[in-house]
Amino acid sequence: MATPETTRPAQPRHGLKLPINVDLLAIGIGLALAVLIRFGVIHQISF
Amino acid sequence: MSTQTIPMPIAADSPSSSAAPPDSTAPLKPASLPGLFPGVALLFGIGLLGKLLQNATTILRTRYHLPVPHIEYVVWAIILGLIVSNFLGVARIFRPGIATYELWLKLGIVLVGARFLLQDVLHIGGLSLLLVAVELALSLSVMTLLGRIFRLPPKLTSLLAIGSSICGVTAIMAAQGAIDSDEEDTSTAIAAILTLGAIALVTFPAIGHSLHMGQQAYGMWAGLAVDNTAESVATGALYGQDAGRWTILAKTARSSFIGFVVLGYAVYWASKGKAAHVKNKPLFLWQKFPKFILGFLAISILATAGFFTQGQLNSISSLSQWAFLPAFAGVGLRTNMRDLVDQGWRPLAVGILGEVFIAIVTLGLVFWSYNHGVAR
Repeated sequence: MATPETTRPAQPRHGLKLPINVDLLAIGIGLALAVLIRFGVIHQISF
Repeated sequence: MSTQTIPMPIAADSPSSSAAPPDSTAPLKPASLPGLFPGVALLFGIGLLGKLLQNATTILRTRYHLPVPHIEYVVWAIILGLIVSNFLGVARIFRPGIATYELWLKLGIVLVGARFLLQDVLHIGGLSLLLVAVELALSLSVMTLLGRIFRLPPKLTSLLAIGSSICGVTAIMAAQGAIDSDEEDTSTAIAAILTLGAIALVTFPAIGHSLHMGQQAYGMWAGLAVDNTAESVATGALYGQDAGRWTILAKTARSSFIGFVVLGYAVYWASKGKAAHVKNKPLFLWQKFPKFILGFLAISILATAGFFTQGQLNSISSLSQWAFLPAFAGVGLRTNMRDLVDQGWRPLAVGILGEVFIAIVTLGLVFWSYNHGVAR
């Protein structure tokens, strides 16, 4: 039997639909940046 | 191409309202690129402010010899995000962009692959896989037992067990459809996992320092014990840059189990007639596999093969830190203290007890690995 603590509606969370898979987007951007650094288009980045 | 659902930040429109305003329950429309801009700007703004504050405290300490503690940008970014989320409130216009924190987090993880030689990935990653297997068996059993003791709904118990043993919100979202759980149970499990992640941000570094843990050992522990990827990476980075990257390696090894665990629960609930049967299991495993790990491995392989010079590797590593900057701001922005009281005490109690157990077990496993020369 459900208890009052668990039946109380939690704050709703909504998903955000992006038109692309976030994992693949991260891989694509990451590899593209790495290649740009490799061929000198981007250089000497410091943090 | 498939679409990806990103969990939205838990933020109120107004900090003074105790109940969500009526329009906050309306589904958000798919984001357009201009619609993402305000939230992305907020993420980077908070992250940059955190970096500036770190630099400012360093200058005050070194140039003016003031007794100012050294506080890393990670801490500043999370604290500033928490202040905005909990005291100022996050307007609706910022929410779509804030949800992109996951993209920056995964981009940072892909790029940090440049800091690992493949042999390290295979050795420590392999060790992590072994430790994760032990952790999984124990944590799933204990969470299920605790759920029964505290009389939680069975599917909520499953979600908490999946979330706490694998990778937090991502695992819960992956399991939601597979085991056909209620929206309410999913929300409660996510709230509990995020709350526990926030607690870990404070407790883990303190415990690590008190036990004089090394960077690698602590990083492994944070990666194995802290559930949600963002909180796990932040918990590791709070201890040090080296600890942060070892956390990422252990966490990615742990996340790679997500498909197997969710599939196990899906098959279990389907056998009880309370979820749909999984027809194509290999396809299911591939769909649930966190594919950004492949990007991390690809960069690591390229680095090991000598594709980059040392200077280029340093640049890629710096880029990964720039990517983590908005991700850490996102950790603070989507942590709402109100969830501590809103979710009820039973799921949180099960979560806390389970997490304490997992933290102790994984700490023991890490110490055993280092004392027996298994890790190096």
